[in-house]
Amino acid sequence: MIHHASTATNIAAPLGNEAKPGHGFLSLQGLSKRYSEFVAVDAVDLDVNQGEFVSLLGPSGCGKTTTLRMIAGLVQASGGRIVVAGRDLTAIPPFRRDMGLVFQSYALFPHMSVAGNIAFGLEMRGLSRSEISNRVTEAIALVRLEGRENRRPSELSGGQQQRVALARALVIRPSILLLDEPLSNLDAKLRDEMRTEIRDIQRRLGTTAIFVTHDQDEALTMSDRVVVMNHGRIEQTGTPEDLYERPRTPFVASFVGRTNRFSGTALGRSVKLGDTLVHSATEANGPADVMIRPHRITISTGSAAASGGQNTLSGIVRRMTYAGNLLQYDVLAGDLTFQVEEATLGSGRALAPGTTVTLSWSAQDTLVFEAKP
Amino acid sequence: MTASATHAALPEAPKLDGRALIVMLLLPITAVNLIGFILPVVNLAMISFMEVRSTGAMTGNWSFAKWQLVVTDPFYWELLWNSVRTSLTITLLTLLVSYPVALYLHRSSGMWRSILLVMVISPLLLSAVVRTYGWIAILSDRGLINNGLMALGFDGPLRLMFNLTGVVIGLTEILMPYMILALLAGFGKLDSRVEEAAATLGASPFRVFWRVVLPLSLPGIALGSLLTFVLAVSSFITPKLLGGGRVFLLATEVYDQAIVTLDWPLAATLSIIVLVVFGVALTIYSRVLKSLG
Amino acid sequence: MEEKPVSPVLKVLAAFGFLFLLAPVLIVVPLSFSNDVFMSFPPSGYSLRWYIAIGANAKLLDAFLFSVKLASLVTVVNILIAVPASYALIRKAPFGADAIMSLLTAPLLLPTIVLGLALLIVMARAGYLATPQGIFLAHLVVTLPYALRVIATALSTLPIAVEEAAATLGASPLSVFFRITLPMLMPGIVAAAALSFLVSFDEVVLSLFMNGPKVTTLPVELYHHVESRADPLVAAASVLLVVFTLAVVIIVDRSLGLAKTFVK
Repeated sequence: MIHHASTATNIAAPLGNEAKPGHGFLSLQGLSKRYSEFVAVDAVDLDVNQGEFVSLLGPSGCGKTTTLRMIAGLVQASGGRIVVAGRDLTAIPPFRRDMGLVFQSYALFPHMSVAGNIAFGLEMRGLSRSEISNRVTEAIALVRLEGRENRRPSELSGGQQQRVALARALVIRPSILLLDEPLSNLDAKLRDEMRTEIRDIQRRLGTTAIFVTHDQDEALTMSDRVVVMNHGRIEQTGTPEDLYERPRTPFVASFVGRTNRFSGTALGRSVKLGDTLVHSATEANGPADVMIRPHRITISTGSAAASGGQNTLSGIVRRMTYAGNLLQYDVLAGDLTFQVEEATLGSGRALAPGTTVTLSWSAQDTLVFEAKP
Repeated sequence: MTASATHAALPEAPKLDGRALIVMLLLPITAVNLIGFILPVVNLAMISFMEVRSTGAMTGNWSFAKWQLVVTDPFYWELLWNSVRTSLTITLLTLLVSYPVALYLHRSSGMWRSILLVMVISPLLLSAVVRTYGWIAILSDRGLINNGLMALGFDGPLRLMFNLTGVVIGLTEILMPYMILALLAGFGKLDSRVEEAAATLGASPFRVFWRVVLPLSLPGIALGSLLTFVLAVSSFITPKLLGGGRVFLLATEVYDQAIVTLDWPLAATLSIIVLVVFGVALTIYSRVLKSLG
Repeated sequence: MEEKPVSPVLKVLAAFGFLFLLAPVLIVVPLSFSNDVFMSFPPSGYSLRWYIAIGANAKLLDAFLFSVKLASLVTVVNILIAVPASYALIRKAPFGADAIMSLLTAPLLLPTIVLGLALLIVMARAGYLATPQGIFLAHLVVTLPYALRVIATALSTLPIAVEEAAATLGASPLSVFFRITLPMLMPGIVAAAALSFLVSFDEVVLSLFMNGPKVTTLPVELYHHVESRADPLVAAASVLLVVFTLAVVIIVDRSLGLAKTFVK
């Protein structure tokens, strides 16, 4: 499991016009966006299958939104190709791309009713009035907004506006549904509801969807696959489980999920962290970043003997935080502070600060990344 | 639900190169600007260097005669000095009358503030002719003030118009809205908490005003004064009507030379001097603003 | 916010300021109902004779009609020119857009007396002095910067995502403009139209330079009247003007309010 960050997934793609056959329904080939002084998106390669729900996840400024806007045609690519169903769309203007885009701000037409908003894309396609009316009714039912057809967007709640935006993007039966942080303006409870709802609708219609978010929970819970981006590049592409359990770069390991992060020196299958020697399951040498997920560490009051492939450290609880479903501990072991998470199993189990404890985790759970030279 | 069915229905748009489109959209406004602004102004500057026959017709030759005349004839120096002095007086008076109004507006709130604000702005929507006419009704020999004074037993009318006094009074009022709005914009930075802080430190209301309110409103005062001065120098409707042909200022002279005497080169020369005064005022303003930080 | 007590000194000074500011407008109202032949205030008696006199004054009525027609035409042309220009400068943001904007609004900085003279000279040479075309161009030059400013500002505050949404839904740039941008821009256009109309309608200085026997606006006619005679006729005309201006403002305010609730 040793990887240099730079060798993650994107083997430098040829930037020329050499047409690689797209494997996916949507295929991004060496897609780049350069502004005068900075590279927003750097040779991104991605294949998305039909009906798949793929998230672009990363911190702000990582290029995920720019990538999405290039797919929609709202930003002109400076290099590479966008291919959908074998058709090169790179030079096609947005209004002929046939994509449905849901904006973070919803971007509803303020001067049109709910029905008018949803009908707009159909009118642009010159559909007959009865066809439009049927499909609008269908779309309104899909997002459960019956009875609000004639309201103006300003008369709707945030969640309802969100549904209108979704219906408006879906009613044109887009080849791909693009979602740009659609949930970030909603409150927490509504956000959870909409996650499920969006995913249900997408599954039911079989629409291919690209979902941009900076929220790892959203990405992990909603997606078939997640693309983690950083500095305009893809760090790793994989299923939520892949990313969480088998991060290939320190960035992915620390961005997706909580983690204990240490710097140390790798010596084969063990790593020296200060005075502490920790076992790992992978071969590495030299300076290295070491990460251990807090919930993979077992905390106990007994002094368990070290078994093969197992790490055991003795420490003292410094702080305990009760977080409902979790107990979170800060444990000082030698000169290292570990965060440890334990599921709350009934009351009375919490360990008070000052308690001497034993931490243990398996060697496989020590993630080691050789530091970049 | 595949896309293929809808692809064909999307309209084909006429292709227009981005740059060509921009040029097309900007063409009409540029034409108006060029024909109605740049060309006339450039022409005006050139005209001031044209030779004129005694009949008033231009010969088409270049000449510095008008500039020479303006620079050497004391009449024009006096005209310039008159204009500047009068405009400065008007600016000062406008500031004195407007400041309390603006401060009061700044401290008022809600509906009352909106009403007062409308009262300040609405005169701007009225022609200067109408407002000047109102002043004639107040200042003339049989106007409000003189009739009032006579009713109180004073003899003979006070000469309040057809002289500089009338012009100054009328222009002060006419330029007030600009000053008030500039002051209000300047008061934006004036936080009432700063005043309260000064008051809690034991400063009397007068000291709070002198040490806190006034210094903080200096940028607004500077902007309002610039606006008022510049507008005073270039206005001529009010000076013509309230001055009754007895008040000579740069702007009235430009108009008289252009319309009555038909000496366009002289009018052009004088109007360029108006612009020079503008430039000097603007320079002083930016210096003042810089020194205020 | 807590109401701050205002010192009585400030109240008195502010009241004086307001009185001074509104005096010339307020005095015109009673004066317009004067029964005197000459201007005198307070009037010795009251009547409607000066309002009736306006009705009989063909010159004034013609000038009023000309002013309305001129201001209307100026307004329409302003909008037709300013909307495309704003679109080009704000949405297309060509290189040097700010500089172009400054140049196009520069006529506002020039004193009208200088601009009036400059226009007088070129118009006279081109043979357009004292023609409707000449006065129209002069009004266009001074009102266009207002219209451009107002519309460009309104356009720059419109969320561009809404237009992008329309594009992704299949609307061509032309459809986006007419179906989305233009309706959302309506409040700005109405405001620009109102401003253009009122500025043109009240404009005196340029009109004085450009006018002629058959081409004269209401403010110019009033100016000449005040210059030559002191009677309450202008007071009656002023009251009607105030009412007219107020009507324009109210209509605009209503339709602006309407447009705003429409778009919100």
